[in-house]
Formats: sequence, C-alpha cells, structure tokens
Amino acid sequence: MMQRLRPWGLAQSLSTRKPLIPPRYNTSTTAPWRPAAVLDDWVQKEARPISLRQLTFFGRTLTENRLISSANYVRTELPTRLAHRLRDMQTLPFVVVTNPHMSHVYDLYYRAFERLRRVQEIKSVEDNERYCKAISETLREHLTVIPRLAMGVLECQGLMRAQEMDKFMNTLLRSRISRRVIAEQHLALTETFNAPWHFPNAKAPMDPNAEFVGEVFLRCNAREVVDACWLRAKTLAEEAYGPDCAMPNIIVEGHLDATFPYILTHLQYVIGEILRNSIQAVVERRPSPSDRPPPIEVLICEAPQHVIIRISDQGGGIPKEIMPELWSFSKGSRSQAHLRNLSQVPKMAATMQELRLPNLNSRPLPSTESSKHSSLDGSLSSLTSRPPNLRLGVGLPMSRVYAEYWAGSLEIHNLEGYGVDAFFQISKLGNKNEQLSTRASMDAV
Amino acid sequence: MSGNPHSEFQLLLRAAHMRSRAKALDSRLIRILCPLQRQSRQLATATSRLPQSQPWSHPPASVNIDNDQVARLAAQPLRPLTLADLVRHGRPPLTAENLFSSANFTLSLLPIRLAHRIQALRNLPFIVVSNPHISRIYNNYIHSLSTLLPYQERRITNLEDEIQFTEVMADLVQTHSNTIPILARGFLECRKYISAADVTRFLDEHLRARIGTRLIAEQHIALHLSSQPHCGRDSRYQQDGCSSCIGVIDTALRPAEIIRHCESFVSEICELKYGVRPTVVINGQPDTALAHVPTHLEYILTELLKNAFRATVESGKEREPIEATIAASPDPPSSPLEEMKIDPLPIEQETSGPILPDPCIHGVTIRIRDRGGGISPETLPNIWAYSFTTFGDDEVFDISNNGNADALNAISGVGGDSSSLAGLGYGLPLGRAYAEHFGGGVQVQSLWGWGTDVYLKLRGLGRI
Repeated sequence: MMQRLRPWGLAQSLSTRKPLIPPRYNTSTTAPWRPAAVLDDWVQKEARPISLRQLTFFGRTLTENRLISSANYVRTELPTRLAHRLRDMQTLPFVVVTNPHMSHVYDLYYRAFERLRRVQEIKSVEDNERYCKAISETLREHLTVIPRLAMGVLECQGLMRAQEMDKFMNTLLRSRISRRVIAEQHLALTETFNAPWHFPNAKAPMDPNAEFVGEVFLRCNAREVVDACWLRAKTLAEEAYGPDCAMPNIIVEGHLDATFPYILTHLQYVIGEILRNSIQAVVERRPSPSDRPPPIEVLICEAPQHVIIRISDQGGGIPKEIMPELWSFSKGSRSQAHLRNLSQVPKMAATMQELRLPNLNSRPLPSTESSKHSSLDGSLSSLTSRPPNLRLGVGLPMSRVYAEYWAGSLEIHNLEGYGVDAFFQISKLGNKNEQLSTRASMDAV
Repeated sequence: MSGNPHSEFQLLLRAAHMRSRAKALDSRLIRILCPLQRQSRQLATATSRLPQSQPWSHPPASVNIDNDQVARLAAQPLRPLTLADLVRHGRPPLTAENLFSSANFTLSLLPIRLAHRIQALRNLPFIVVSNPHISRIYNNYIHSLSTLLPYQERRITNLEDEIQFTEVMADLVQTHSNTIPILARGFLECRKYISAADVTRFLDEHLRARIGTRLIAEQHIALHLSSQPHCGRDSRYQQDGCSSCIGVIDTALRPAEIIRHCESFVSEICELKYGVRPTVVINGQPDTALAHVPTHLEYILTELLKNAFRATVESGKEREPIEATIAASPDPPSSPLEEMKIDPLPIEQETSGPILPDPCIHGVTIRIRDRGGGISPETLPNIWAYSFTTFGDDEVFDISNNGNADALNAISGVGGDSSSLAGLGYGLPLGRAYAEHFGGGVQVQSLWGWGTDVYLKLRGLGRI
C-alpha cells in the first residue's frame, strides 16, 4: 500500500484501509510497494474495442450462452483497461499522484483492479450474478471520480504542462467511459435476461420494435432529445435565476426526423451542456432582466453517415483570453472559482441517496421512461443536475470526450462579441469502434 | 503591359467596383504625376536596357545575377512584419523625410524576400521550372531582384531617387500581377511530374510570401501617391474623401460595405450565368469598423460569396438568403497607434511574413452561412489544396486564352489578382492565406445535406 506523504497538508486515515497485498509479500510498516508484476501482465494485453452496432447486435437475441460470453468479455476487458490507466497514473510525476484528489482516484482504480482481476471464468448464470454485483458496487464507488479528478487537475496546475495533463485526462476519461459502457451494457443485458417476461431458453426472435438494447437507445430522435434537454436546462435556469428572469426561446429546425442508435445518457449530457452554456450566456448578456433574450437556434442536419446538431446562440461569444483553455481541464486564472464550485459537487455524488433531485420528478424526461438505467442514477447526473451558475469548467472538455468516443466530434466556433456556434457530429451507423487511443494534441488557438 | 485589352478591362472593372486607391498602378502614372519628368525619362531608357527575358528560357535565367548575391540575401532571415510597420512612417501626406524613410524601409525588406522566392523556385524539380509558365515567373523574380540590386549599398535621401525607386516598385507590382494564373497553368501542365501535396506546399509558402511582398511595395507606392509634394495637382488620384486611409490600409474599414460591394459584383455574374440572383442578409453588428486592407478583404469576401452563391443556386435554394453575420469583439483597452512601440520586433521565426497581431487589437468575425447543401465528405479534405477544382480539366484550359470563355470566368477576377481564378480552386486557400497574413483565419464547417458555415476572422490594427 502506498505510503501517503503529507505535502498537501491533509491528514489521511490509514487505519481503515484494508491490506490488498497477498500474504506472501512483506507487510512491515515501512512503505512496501504494490507488486508491479501483476499489473505488468495486464498492461501487456491489448484492449479489444467494440462498436455501438456490435453492442446492439450482440444484445438483441439474449441466450444464456450469449450472456455468459458477454460476462467473460467484460471480465477481461475491465481489468485490462484499468491496468493501462493505472500504468498511466503511475508514470505521472510523483508530486501529482500524491495530490489527495489524484491519489483518491488512484486508490479507487487500484482496488477495482485488484478485485476484478481475480474473478474466475464465468460459467453459469449464478457466477454472472455474483459478478454483476461486484461490477455494480464498483460503478457506484467510482461516481466521485470525475469531480475529484477535475479538482486534482486544477490543484496540480504548474506541476505539469497543461497539454500533457489534458492528454492524460482525455485518455483517462475516454477509458472510463468505455469501461462504464461495457459494464453498464452487461448489467442491462443481465437485467433483461432476468426479467420475468423474458424466456431465456426460447428461441427469441429479434424484436424489431425493441427500443432499447441494454443502454443503447436504438431510436434516439435528435429533435426529441433536444426538446427534453432544453426543458431540463431551462427549468434549472429558472430555478437559479428566479421567476423574474425572462428565458430565451428555442427554435429547432432542419431534418427533424433524424433518428439513430446511441447511448442516450451521452447524448443528453453533451446537448445539455451546450444548451446550458448558451442559456447562461444569453441570460447574462441581456441589458435588463425583463428583456427576453434572443432565441437559441438548433439545426439538425442528417446525412447518410452522420447527424450534425448545430446550436447557435447570441450570447456575446467567448472572450479571446479564454479560448486557449476552452478544451482544457486546466483553467489558468479561473481555477480558484472552479475549484470552489467543484468541491460542492462531490458531496452530491458521494451521497446519491440524498441527491437533491430538481423538481423534474413531476416532469420526467420522456425518453428515460423505458431506460432501465435512468440517467438520474448515472455518474453524469450529479453534474447535469447542478444549478447552471455553478461553473465547473469541465463541461466542454468532457462533452468532447463523450462526443469523440463513438468517433463523433464537437466543435465550437466563436463569434466574439456576438455569440457561439457549437457543432456536435454523431456517427449514425454505429459501426465505428470506440476511440480508445489518445487523440492527437489539441488545436491551439 | 500597355494596350492589353484584358488589363484595361480589369481596370475599368476595378474602378467600378472597388474603392481601393492603390490598385490602378501603372508606372506611367507616377511619371505623369511627378514634376521631375526628365529624370523619369532617363529611368525609362535605363529600364529598357535590361535584357528582355525570353518567352521560353531554360534556367539559369537570361538576366545575370550573381549567385552569391542571391545566396547571401536568401540566407538572411525574413523579418516578421507588423501592420504597425506599414503605418509607422506617418499619415499621408507624408513629408519628404518620411517618404525616404518608407523607401529605405521597403528597400531593407524586399531584396531578401525576392531572394527567398528565387531560392524556392530553384529548388523545384528541373522539369517543373523548365515549363514555360513557371519559367516566366522565375525570370520575373530574377528581373525584379536585378532592379533592386543597384540600391543595395545606397540609402534614398533625395526626391529624384525616391521617384525612381517608386517606379521600380510600380514595375515590380505590375510585372508580378499575373503570377497566380500563370503559376496555376504551369503546375497544371506539370501535374504528372510533381505531386499535388508538393504543389500545395510550394504554393502555400509562395503565395503567402507574395502577399507580404506586394503589400510592402504597394504601401510605399500608395504613400508616395498620396503625399502632397508629388500628386497634389491631379485630383483624380488624390485620396478623395478617404481620410481614414494610410496608404493601402483603411483604418475605418466597414466590412458591411465591402460585403455589399462584393455581393453586387458576384450576383451580377451569378445572374449572367445562372439566371437567378440570391440575396445576402447582413446582421449582427453591421456598423463595425476596423483597420485593414480593403483589397484583401474584398478578395476574401468575393471568394466566399462566390462559393456560397454557387452552392445556393446549384442546389435550387436561390430563394434562401445567404446570411452574413458581423461580430466585433469588444473594444480592448485602447492604445492609440502613435503610442505603440514602433521598434522592430525581435525576429522570432523564419516565416514567409505573416503579420503578427499586437495584443490589443480589435478583432472581427464574419460568418457566411448558406443553405447550399454543404460540402460532401469526399470533397471536404481537399478544399484547402491549391488546384483542386470541381470543374473539369477541359474547362480549365479554356480559361485565359479562349475569347469565348465563360463570362463567369472571364470577369470574375476581383480583388487584385487575375480573372482566371474561378474554377481553378484557389479561392479558399488563397482567401485563407490573406486572412492569416494579418493573424486572422478562415474556417469552414460543412453540414452535408443542409449548407455551409464559413467563419472569417480578422485582426485589425487597433485604435488609431
């Protein structure tokens, strides 16, 4: 177990930590280090990326064999992907990894790795049940990762070049999405399999009307998602700014029928973030609170291979000074403000049961009704339900990671002094593999 | 040069559509305007003593330039220019002292720039530079450098020298005015011998450098023309009402006006060719003004509007207006130009001379939005390559020679360079080169199946 140093001045309680080292290693009180050999083995393995289409095809006809195959795929993929990221973290500068937030995440990951790598081959439905339990617990434990990482990055500014830090964060987050996707997908498949109306041994024909295959919503209609995200974003803004504040309208045009398979929570997150930024910009820009701000225009453009959603606002644009750090997790001069705000978020995520749900309970997002994993339980929910004036500084970089995960893209064009155009491009066919390798270095402004 | 109906037509066209002053350059004008015509005539005979370049000459060129000199000049780094450099000599009308200072400043920069270009041309494959068109351009550069070499050791300290020098500048600008279509033609003919990537790489560097070189020369000429001692008499060439102009730079340029100019020009061609005339709606902050070079902006906007109009009409959407949104970044803390430091910047990198923006510069973004169906994914990777075109090869060859050439091609040349650019696919990369020269840029966002958004970012000079 890694000895916690004190450069950051926080006391750490060591007594409650369970020893993770197998007995044959030295457990004296001098700082032993975790055996690197096991990690080395897993780091040698290659991750096997998957595509959205594979996810859906696989899950369409669920038999016991398929379920067990899925379980074993996840069983080896999770520790492999974790191992790669652990090695990444291990090679960061010492002073960075010993930051309390970073080391919290490092510990979480290591514990997960140790637990999951020991799982034996899954051979039966009962084995799978135990395995699913282990995955669920891990997923829940890791809900704090994003805010903690974000805080760690901000606190570590100056200890590493921002470019390298961003590269690390992007790789880490991308991998995190990938692990959660395959884990949550498997959990959803298991739930389907176990559902009372499902007859596992019958030759279930492909149900052409199935809306969901696990986490994948086969018929995301861009227009509906935009409307739903808009409703939510506007409600949050109304709560934050008060009833006297006039809200902008939204105009949605273009190919309104565009429909494609996607993981709904991802879509909601990205569109939600952009809309929130736009609302905040136009509301804060208008000359007086009662003036209705100019509308936000959304365009949906469908082509054979992809769908592009363009969101244009007249919120005054992004100041030139901020542009270089727009996509970065390091925020330069605004770090202190972001750090303060971020520290309010982990409290919400750490106690999911006490999470203050906004008054949306009475108006649930229509598309989540049939989703077995409501977006409100996911790791993104604490981020998406925060009040819009709690600026965290991670919305855009995170959205880009999500957008690029299935080989899509997110671009911002700034008309400084006027407004912003955001372009979210989604690959429609679902046949692009997850992007697990690091993207090329970011554009400079 | 003279008597060419094509260039005279161009002059007429420019006069009708442009309001830029420094375009109609003919070394004769300078001689007409200047009282000291005797010296001018002497120079005319001197120039004619220089050997004529052959219509087809193999390298090395027919004019003799010492290779050592070229090498020596090309070894010196290119100094990055600022817009402040161009206006540092003062507002017109300039005093004689300032005019000499401008001339000497120009002299300090141009030979090096020309030498770099000659060097680059010499490094192209032999077969390419042997092509008559490329060879002609190569010889033009050699000729121009040879006219500047006599000044190498002197400084300009009197009026006669300055007039003579300005004529040399005018000759330079005139000689090289048709470089682009000639180079384009040459590279097209050589496409079997050099890869598209290499052509793009060469042209990108060459044309960007050319922008800067011409700017320096034209600025000096414009300052010369607008300074009292030299052209007070002939009112035609006085800076009529352009009190905000410093040479080729207009310090109160309004993009909205330029858009309207370009719109009327492009929609005429459009109507001629297609029979319909899309409209342009200007919104945002139409009263925005910034300091910039009008001819550059005209070129870029014309090219962008040409693309937008063509796409709009060809996808049957001519009723949909093209939207031009002007956004001005909020005024930075002002720093009057005279107070800005005018010391030469430290040389940071050897570049072809993109002009570095100062920190407190006013920025303008212009978004051109059309509903013309967008750019297909197959075409998109190539839009920034020179000599990429969606016109067929045979159409291209009709262009500068055939009297029956498509009217669109014949008269669509606007904004400084020749008429045969339409269909050669140079508009976007060249437009971007102009924008980037001042620290701005062009970005294209295609929505395939709907339309295209183009973002033109401009940096200005700041408050004067």
